[in-house]
Amino acid sequence: MSPMLTIAKREFRSYFDSPVAYVVICLSFLGLGLMFFQFNGGFWEEDRASLQNLFAYVPPGLSMLVVPVVTMGLIAEEKRSGTLEMLITLPVKDSDVMLGKYLGALGLVLTLTTSTLLYPISMFKWPWSLGALDWGPIQSAYFGLVLYSAAAVAIGLLVSALTESQAVSFFVTFFILLVMWYCGRAAEWMGGTLGEVLRYVGFETRMTGFMRGLVDTKDIVFFASIAVLCLIAAFRKLESRKWI
Amino acid sequence: MSDVMIQASSLSKTFGNVQALAKVDFEVRKGEVVGFLGPNGAGKSTTMRILTCFISPTSGSAKVHGFDVFDDPLEVRRRIGYLPQRAPLYQDMTVWEYLDFASAVRQLDPGTFRTRLKKVVEVCGLAQVLGKPIGTLSHGYRQRVGLGQALIHDPPILILDEPTSDLDPNEKAELLKYIKEIGKDHTILLSTHNLNEVEEACARAIIVSKGKVVADGNLDEVRARSGGVTYTVSIDELSGEGGKAAPKAAEVRSFLEKINGAKKVHERPSDEKAHRFTVAGANDGDLRAEIFRLAVAQHWTLLELQRDAQSLDSVFRELTRGDEKMDRGRDWADEADDDESDSDKESN
Repeated sequence: MSPMLTIAKREFRSYFDSPVAYVVICLSFLGLGLMFFQFNGGFWEEDRASLQNLFAYVPPGLSMLVVPVVTMGLIAEEKRSGTLEMLITLPVKDSDVMLGKYLGALGLVLTLTTSTLLYPISMFKWPWSLGALDWGPIQSAYFGLVLYSAAAVAIGLLVSALTESQAVSFFVTFFILLVMWYCGRAAEWMGGTLGEVLRYVGFETRMTGFMRGLVDTKDIVFFASIAVLCLIAAFRKLESRKWI
Repeated sequence: MSDVMIQASSLSKTFGNVQALAKVDFEVRKGEVVGFLGPNGAGKSTTMRILTCFISPTSGSAKVHGFDVFDDPLEVRRRIGYLPQRAPLYQDMTVWEYLDFASAVRQLDPGTFRTRLKKVVEVCGLAQVLGKPIGTLSHGYRQRVGLGQALIHDPPILILDEPTSDLDPNEKAELLKYIKEIGKDHTILLSTHNLNEVEEACARAIIVSKGKVVADGNLDEVRARSGGVTYTVSIDELSGEGGKAAPKAAEVRSFLEKINGAKKVHERPSDEKAHRFTVAGANDGDLRAEIFRLAVAQHWTLLELQRDAQSLDSVFRELTRGDEKMDRGRDWADEADDDESDSDKESN
C-alpha cells in the first residue's frame, strides 16, 4: 500500500477509535430522520414519491455539522500535539500527507452520505414500496453530494492547516460553509453584479441542478476546482513550515 | 563512500529576527554516538529538524548518509530514525498498531516488519505494552515506543531529540541502557542538556550555544577546553599548629591569592570549624604542594586538600554562559559563576 493510502487508512480508522465517528453518524441520522419525517409535516404531508426533502436537508447538515467536526482536527490537532513532525519526518512527500488526510476525512463523510441511501432503498425498493420513484434524479443528486463533499472537506482541511486550534478550525469552517451554502439566496434581494457573483458561487445554487437530475459540467468543474485549489493551498501551507 | 554519516556545513537558520543557528559545522562518523549539548533554545532541535528535513536551513547545507537534505529529503528520511522531543505519538493507537503504521508508511513488507518488530520489542523492552493504547502508557514507555518506531526499519542513523527529558531517574537509566545497546551498531546523534547522560552514553560531544558550535571533540578534549582545575582547601578555624592561634578567613584568603598560579579564590560555606576555600588553577600545573607548604609555613591545620579536574558540567556552563547573561542580566550570571566550582565538587 502506498504511504498516502496508509495515512488515509489510519485517519479513517482513527475516527472509529474515538467517539467522533459514532457521535457524528448517530446525531446526523437522528437529525435527518426528524427533519425528513416530522418537520413541517415532513414526507407524509407531501404525498409524493419524492426525496426532494432529503436532498434539501443533507447538504446543509453536512456543512454545518459533519464536515467542520470531521475536518477540525485533521492538521490542527497534529500540529498542536507535535505528531505532525513525526509524520512528516517519515519518508513521505508532503503532498502524500495532505492527500492521505484528505482521503481519510472524505472517506468518513462519504460513508455517512452514502448511508442515507437507506432512505430511498428502504422506502421504495425493499422492504417497503411506497410508490414509483424516479431514480434518475436520485443518482445525479448523490453524484452532486459526492462532489459537494469533496469541496467541503477540502475547505475544512485548508482551515485546519491554517490554525493549531480545533475550536477555531471548527467555527471558521462552519462559517465559511454556511456562507457559501446560503450566499445564493442573498443574491435574490441583493441584485446587481455582486448578486450575480454570489449566485454563481453559492453552493445551494450549484446543487439545485444535481437534485433535479441535471448534471452540468460547469457545476462539476466548480466543485472540483474548489477541492483542488484548497488542497494546493493546504499543501503550500504545510510546506511553508520549512521557510518561516 | 566515506564514513561521514552526518555532515553539516555552515548551517544557518533565522526565524523572523531571531538567529537560531549561525554557521554550524560538524561531522558525525559511522559508529559514533555523539552527544549534542546546549542550553534550551541554543539551536539543538532546529539543527535536528534540518537534518530530518522537517525545516530547511536559511543558508548552508547538510548531508545525511551522502544525501543532501534539500535535494533528496525522502532518501535522507529513509536512512534515519528520528525521535522528536517529547515523543509525539498517536495516543489512540496501540503500540503494535503504531509500529505497524510506521513500518507501513516506510513500506516495509510484512515479513520484514515481523522480524524487526521482534528485535525492537526486545531492544526497547516493549513486550508488556504491545497491545495497550499509547495514551495509557507512562512517559517512559512512550519514549521507548518513540525509540521503537525510530528503529523499526533498522536505519543506519538515529537522531534523538532529548530522549530522556521528563523521565524519572529509573526510566532515564533504562532508556540510556537501550541507547548504549543500540549505539553498538548505529550512528547516533543525541541531544540533551543533561551532562551525566552524555558522560554515560557518548564518546563525543558537540556543545552549541546561541546557535554556534562552541566545542566539539571527545569528552576529554571538551573537558580540557576550559583548561581549569579546582582545589578545595579547608583550614581549621579553631586552632593552629604548634600552639599558634587559628588564622582568620581573610588572612587565609590573602595568602591563597598570593600563590603563584592561583587564579580565583572563593570562600565556601562550611561548618563552624573550618575556613573552606576553592582555588582555581591552570590545567597543566599542580598547586597542592604549594598550598601544603603555605599551610606548614603559617602553622595552619590543613583539614582538606583536594584537586578536581573540571567536570563536563562546569565546562558546559562556562562555554554557554552568555545565554544566561542574555536572559537574566549580567549580575546574576556573575553570581552563577561563583557557584560554579561548588557544583564541580559535588559532581565529582
